[in-house]
Amino acid sequence: MASFQLLVNNKSYTVEAEPDMPLLWVLRDLLDLTGTKFGCGVNTCGACTVLVNNRSVRSCQITVKSCVGQPITTIEGLSEDGSHPIQKAWEQVAVPQCGYCQSGQMMTLAGLLNQIKKPSEDQIKAVMSQTLCRCGTYHRIKQAINLAIEEVNK
Amino acid sequence: MSSVSGGGLMLGFLLPGANSLASTPDCEFFQPNAFLRLDKKGNIIIYVARQEMGQGVNTSLPMIVADEMDADWKKVKTEIAPYGSLPAGAHDTGGSQSVLIDYNELRKAGAIAKTMLIAAAARQWNISADKCAADNGVVVNTVNMLRITYEELVCEAATQPIPKEVILKNPKDFKLIGKEQKKSNLKDIITGKAKYGIDLKVPGMVYASIERCPVLGGSLISVDDEAAKRIPGFIKTVSYKGTGKPMHVRPGVAVLATSTWAAMQARKLLKIKWDEGTKNKENSVALFTKMAIQSKKKPALEKYNKGDITKLKLSPSNSFTAEYAQPFLAHATMEPINFIASVTGDQCELWGGLQLPDWTVNQLVADCGFKKENIKVNLALIGGGFGRRLHFEFAIEAVKIAQQINKPVKVIWDRTEDIRFEGYRPANYHRMQASWDTKGNLQSWYHHLVCTSIGVMIDPDTKDASENLGGATNDFYYEVPNVQTGFTNVDFNINRGWLRSVEICMNCFPIESFVDEVARKLKKDPLAFRLALLDGRPMFTTGDGPGAMKQYPQRIADVLKLAAEKIGYTQPRKKNHFIGVATHSFIFAKSYAAHAIEIEVLAPKKFRIVRVVAAIDCGIVINPDGLRNQMEGGLAFALQQTLKGEITIENSRVVQDGFRTYELLRYNEMPPVEIYTIKNDEEPGGVGEVGLPTVAPALCNALAAAGYRIRKLPLKNEGFEWV
Repeated sequence: MASFQLLVNNKSYTVEAEPDMPLLWVLRDLLDLTGTKFGCGVNTCGACTVLVNNRSVRSCQITVKSCVGQPITTIEGLSEDGSHPIQKAWEQVAVPQCGYCQSGQMMTLAGLLNQIKKPSEDQIKAVMSQTLCRCGTYHRIKQAINLAIEEVNK
Repeated sequence: MSSVSGGGLMLGFLLPGANSLASTPDCEFFQPNAFLRLDKKGNIIIYVARQEMGQGVNTSLPMIVADEMDADWKKVKTEIAPYGSLPAGAHDTGGSQSVLIDYNELRKAGAIAKTMLIAAAARQWNISADKCAADNGVVVNTVNMLRITYEELVCEAATQPIPKEVILKNPKDFKLIGKEQKKSNLKDIITGKAKYGIDLKVPGMVYASIERCPVLGGSLISVDDEAAKRIPGFIKTVSYKGTGKPMHVRPGVAVLATSTWAAMQARKLLKIKWDEGTKNKENSVALFTKMAIQSKKKPALEKYNKGDITKLKLSPSNSFTAEYAQPFLAHATMEPINFIASVTGDQCELWGGLQLPDWTVNQLVADCGFKKENIKVNLALIGGGFGRRLHFEFAIEAVKIAQQINKPVKVIWDRTEDIRFEGYRPANYHRMQASWDTKGNLQSWYHHLVCTSIGVMIDPDTKDASENLGGATNDFYYEVPNVQTGFTNVDFNINRGWLRSVEICMNCFPIESFVDEVARKLKKDPLAFRLALLDGRPMFTTGDGPGAMKQYPQRIADVLKLAAEKIGYTQPRKKNHFIGVATHSFIFAKSYAAHAIEIEVLAPKKFRIVRVVAAIDCGIVINPDGLRNQMEGGLAFALQQTLKGEITIENSRVVQDGFRTYELLRYNEMPPVEIYTIKNDEEPGGVGEVGLPTVAPALCNALAAAGYRIRKLPLKNEGFEWV
């Protein structure tokens, strides 16, 4: 075990963990930030997506030791009260069914919009098609994406 | 404003547990029954007994209570009804049954509260109750129009006798039912606060990851965990035996550790020898060959006979036969299977999602030796159900592990286990035959379903292995003078379970494809052909008893007509554009739906779905937003099955190991969809499954219009590409 200093949602945490423990399990098991979901553990579903340095990253694919000194944002930190434009759009369209994948969906979009404020439809498709939803809320995700893009470009 | 004295239905009843809850000495809240609680601030908690897993019961069911209570919806919060607070069966969730079973009971629960609040107000004003009316959280004195809020009546209401009879609203007076409401836990979901079973923590809890016997019916020979012990956080290794029917728990070796990650890492280092038993060489290719042969034989079980199909003289010129096949399918819920169990002495406590908690408890009594009253269940929000948690082998596993350590244990399945060790939607094979007279009118319809039955896995001695709810019998809804349907089970060593729409999906694909195929063969328009077969057909019922299910052909025709009209079936089509339709009755959910799908063929065997139109008739709609969600999601779910869903078996093992090999539908594959609802006052039906069965046949019928008749799913195996 080793000690790591992490900056998550603008708060500083010290965690005792194996250096190669994925950020996903650090967030969930050690910090109790369970909004980030385990879906596959092998980079195939996007449920565990968070922002590291404002870029969307699959938290099952990065180790705790590689996160030291890099600001991490989880769904709990996108905004606590749901006021972030993406969360507002998700709320307005009422996207979720079971809701399990939705933090991953929103964080994937957040990462994209941090890089490209007005992504093209092809850019959206390329990125969002990597994050799976079994309930099949894609129809609404699409509407919410358009709303969110409108809002961040106001 | 609606008044209790307004028109409505008078019913006699007494809700379970009501008497003990009505009055509290400190007068902090008013709880006339197990479904709701009003406090002095006016906050209302409505307890939802059915399990929420995305289908929206945590919104639709409270809406029913709140409407009859005339409650202010903004003050309503919902909570999971504690297990044990209601009679057996109240928590069971499946088969699209929640709304249709609970509708009247929940209306009564709300109406009781309202009646008692009104009685309390009447007493304060010293007038008779019929001079009072309820309106959005307030009781109004209709004589002088004074108003008193529900919260001000908490103490007084709690002292009122619980009425044995209440008057329910006339549906035209509904204020919430029929109006779009967003999911009651929407805000929690979008802020990451919603706690699913996998997110729960219990003090002192340890984590477990399990290595299971790769073949059903095998057993453990030996385990070497020396290497696993070197993983930091390792606690211990425990093994347990499997069970037979009904849940077929596989024998397992579990590594217990201080974190999920440590448990998973250590488990990979186990060296285990399994005795695979004798049924370890089965594969799905051979299964389909076997089913094809079996389909040509007489069905083991005759399901339905009308007229006499054997008296007809069939020849290639007046009849047609075709065979259809669909593979095993996995649930693949986004929340991987997980469960928490704690065993202390003879006490057992559980935390997690269960669609059938009563059966789980009873089975734990049988399999693990607990007394029923010593098992405590804490139900949790489910991250996608689709029938996966109707099975509960994961709960038995967790208990078997917890019995060996004096701490609560959280078992988390990884995605490979989740795909590989479940109860699959059965593989199924259909032999269809139709014949017609010289005028081209259908004379006979024959349907032999050959299937790896779910029923025989639950009970090998079952007298009826066919899937009763919507087998070939119940699904067949066209008027044909001679009909014969039958069922044959084929044994196969892989567990089966109920997956969203189960038998209805299995049967609707061949039925709606074959009727289309026959229409085209007879050079008739497939839409007109169907409508003619429904026209004038009398109501169909499955029997005389109270459990008999009814099917109204007019409603099957109406959803089809609506879908066809909205897609512009009779309008000129663009070049290379084709439309397919399909309709059906989801008989045990009392709902009807049709799909019309337009495709564009871009190149040989390459297509694009241009538009999907769904039409539904589920009687009274509780929450139109929830209805649309289920129809949109149902389309995505069914498209996955049509395009690429397939579980294959080699050496009695599932080949697929995750989302790379068991692919779900993706964002870029979701077609534009429009949902249309037929409005009527029929009793509310279930909508969680009705949106699936007609998707595959509608799409395949569009492909047939383009020259490709598909009789085997998924399409990826037939050389198709889609964009």
